[in-house]
Amino acid sequence: MATLLREDSSSSPSTREVAFTAVGVKKHYPGVKALDGVDLEGYAGSVLGVCGANGAGKSTFAKLLAGVDTLTDGEITIAGFDHPVRNAAEAEQAGVLMMHQEPLIIDDFTVGENVWLYKLREGRDIRPWAQKVDTNSAETRKVLQGVGLGHLSTRQLARDLGPGQRQMLSLSRAAVTHHKIMILDETTASTSEEHFNDILELVAREKAAGTSIIFVSHRLNEVFAMCDRIAVLRNGRLIKVLDAADSNPDEVTTLMIGQALKALERPAPIQNASGQVPVMSVHDLYGGTARGVSFDVSPGEILGLYGLVGSGRSSVARTITGQRPAVSGSIKLHGKDISLPTPGSGVSKGIAYLTEDRRLEGFVKDFDNGENMSLVVLPKMSSGGVVKSAVEKKRVRELIGEYQVKGGTGTYTRTLSGGNQQKVVVAKWLETDPEFVVLDEPTKGIDVGARANIYEIIHSLAARGKAVLVVSSEAEELLSLCHRILVMRNGQVVDEFDPEVASTDDLIRTALSTQD
Amino acid sequence: MATATATQPPVHHHQEEQDQSRGQAIGGWLKGQYALYILVALLLVATITRGSVFWGATNLTNLLLQMSIIGVVVLAELIVVLTGGIDISVGSALGLAAVVAAGLFGGPSVLLALVVALVIGGIVGAINGWLVAFRGLEPFIVTLGMLALARGLVYAYGNGIPINPGAAASFAELGQATFIGIPVLAIIWLAMVALVAFLLYRTVWGRRVYAIGSNVEAARSSGIPVKATLWSVYILAGLLVGLGGWMFLARFASGTSTAGNLLELEAIAAVVIGGARLAGGYGKVFGAVVGTIIFAVIANLLSLLNVSTFLQDAFRGALILVAVSLATVQFSRKRKMDSTQPAAK
Repeated sequence: MATLLREDSSSSPSTREVAFTAVGVKKHYPGVKALDGVDLEGYAGSVLGVCGANGAGKSTFAKLLAGVDTLTDGEITIAGFDHPVRNAAEAEQAGVLMMHQEPLIIDDFTVGENVWLYKLREGRDIRPWAQKVDTNSAETRKVLQGVGLGHLSTRQLARDLGPGQRQMLSLSRAAVTHHKIMILDETTASTSEEHFNDILELVAREKAAGTSIIFVSHRLNEVFAMCDRIAVLRNGRLIKVLDAADSNPDEVTTLMIGQALKALERPAPIQNASGQVPVMSVHDLYGGTARGVSFDVSPGEILGLYGLVGSGRSSVARTITGQRPAVSGSIKLHGKDISLPTPGSGVSKGIAYLTEDRRLEGFVKDFDNGENMSLVVLPKMSSGGVVKSAVEKKRVRELIGEYQVKGGTGTYTRTLSGGNQQKVVVAKWLETDPEFVVLDEPTKGIDVGARANIYEIIHSLAARGKAVLVVSSEAEELLSLCHRILVMRNGQVVDEFDPEVASTDDLIRTALSTQD
Repeated sequence: MATATATQPPVHHHQEEQDQSRGQAIGGWLKGQYALYILVALLLVATITRGSVFWGATNLTNLLLQMSIIGVVVLAELIVVLTGGIDISVGSALGLAAVVAAGLFGGPSVLLALVVALVIGGIVGAINGWLVAFRGLEPFIVTLGMLALARGLVYAYGNGIPINPGAAASFAELGQATFIGIPVLAIIWLAMVALVAFLLYRTVWGRRVYAIGSNVEAARSSGIPVKATLWSVYILAGLLVGLGGWMFLARFASGTSTAGNLLELEAIAAVVIGGARLAGGYGKVFGAVVGTIIFAVIANLLSLLNVSTFLQDAFRGALILVAVSLATVQFSRKRKMDSTQPAAK
């Protein structure tokens, strides 16, 4: 397609050609004003960062711009389109390309077919004998190289790709569609650091071609690496639009949460650590991608587990909590051998696993906050299988207050922001009073404010003598949160670090080395 | 409400919110009850066209008897649908329970027949449930196989001839019996309604059923014994169907080989008309009861209006289509309301 080589574009960033204008945009959900009168402009050939804490309305804004959701009030006009955009089809006609947080990939199609997915419905040519796009052409290869996937075969099935590769594959479609506006909605959330450079290159090409890019994120270092202007939202209102060159992450953070963020405290040192029987002791564990993993977690210790996607960190977390069966190896709880064939066996032994996939495994989508919080401990709130509803209601009300969850016990958890959903999940598990807590990516998709809350909860857990394992792909998070950090690579624990002396660089290098 | 600790400000706050919105909640509940509106409309039509006959004591008794049997089967279908499954073998299983209960040992007593019917229903449910829960097979395919298997056994057992139990007279007596003017069969049905509602709303088991239907991964991850719960759901459904077979015997005093034929269609339709989601996780006992009544009323009304039996089936099918279309209107309306309704407080 011609769009692949659009360097001949005439627009230069300095002319500030307006690409879209949002005036007085409001979006109200029952009980929530997601957006409350936002005025914002985007310019061709320029990258606009949209930042905000969870629930600030940044994703809502992206959805409205892409026509996926309808406005309550206000207007969004797109340059070159004669009337305000009302739905997704019109937005697409107007040239809006939305890259969703969850990449839209069809698992049973090949990589090449996924690149050309939009071609499947382009035009009205429904003749069965109409010529198909050659999905394995040299052009497809070039498109894939453009997003750092040049090593993949176009004939490979998309289901075999890792999460980062899936996201990049979905981004590759930018090169084969006509668009004037590209929205990246938390696109980097599921990609690891290694893919970010490819995204940067892609954005640079798009910029040169005169595309107006909107980058929705709360990863401020990435926002600053990519954006020209930064719009900060808070509680549905536009707080300020900054020039990235004249600002810094601290300023944006302050604007995002409305106050200066206090520096995260180091966890209190472990009380009399030596001589105690470790709460969890894993020896030579095999299961999933984990190959021969051994480690101990002492009472009151926060152990970090760092590794890239596919390094086996999640396999370890899932195996020692009973979420998936172990192939071989021993798991000892308080020095006693245990077997964990099912998640239920983990729960009954005082092991809690907070999943990295909240939507899929964290909470029940048709349950309200109360029902979700009591899901695991319900047998304890009942006699003879009959739920004592008064006891349950009282306890979940207390929990809502204790964990400062937005909305009441009757609010559906699925309608909350990521941070509040995570608080519900945390409350659900800590209510079981576990001895050993595993948190898999506890702050994935969560804003700074809620992050601090989660960190505090983890610290207080350790202070009460519980053993905690935090699995994360964010090196900084582990460095500030943990007593000890293990780095995994290719299914094995390759090194151990003391966060007092180690740096982000050390962790990433160890996790990456000997990998190509 | 009085149990909430008033000492905690945030907690107290939510309590107030909840009290305030109670009036709105009732209004909102009424708005969603499309099944209830269909029923009211049907009753109106019945009153206008054949009012005196329809509301007569004989007809109402007849109506109650008609809905009792299918009502119990609808409850069985409801709990299966709540888990995201479907059971299309209920009609055949009911037929099998009825003919075996009538024919085994010559059908000497009503109570023995009850035990036999429950055992047959339980076995069918246990097989369905085991294949679905522990073998991971599709409920549709499993129960499709069971539909053919059970119906085949029904024909084979009686060679196509109705089986009259030895205690046919006591069965007929039971079918006619009333308690303070209400047929005993209807009382059994209502007792089952209460039982299923209690199990679903007030027990750990019920909460687990909803959790599994809504999000099986989250349920599994939360330590809920998914397979055992699923199995128990199918077994309970089987027991209810077995009870339905026994009630069929009581009503007709004979195990015909067409007993329960096509009952699965009405049961599924009644559940869906009652607002349950076929994908699981959402559905109410009240809705299923209303769905049941709608089907009984429409069948009754069509007979009163002297519509031919053949056309009655067509009417019933048309009603399913109309009701299901209405249900989708209801869902999309809800979605629209979610996205456009301004903040309520």
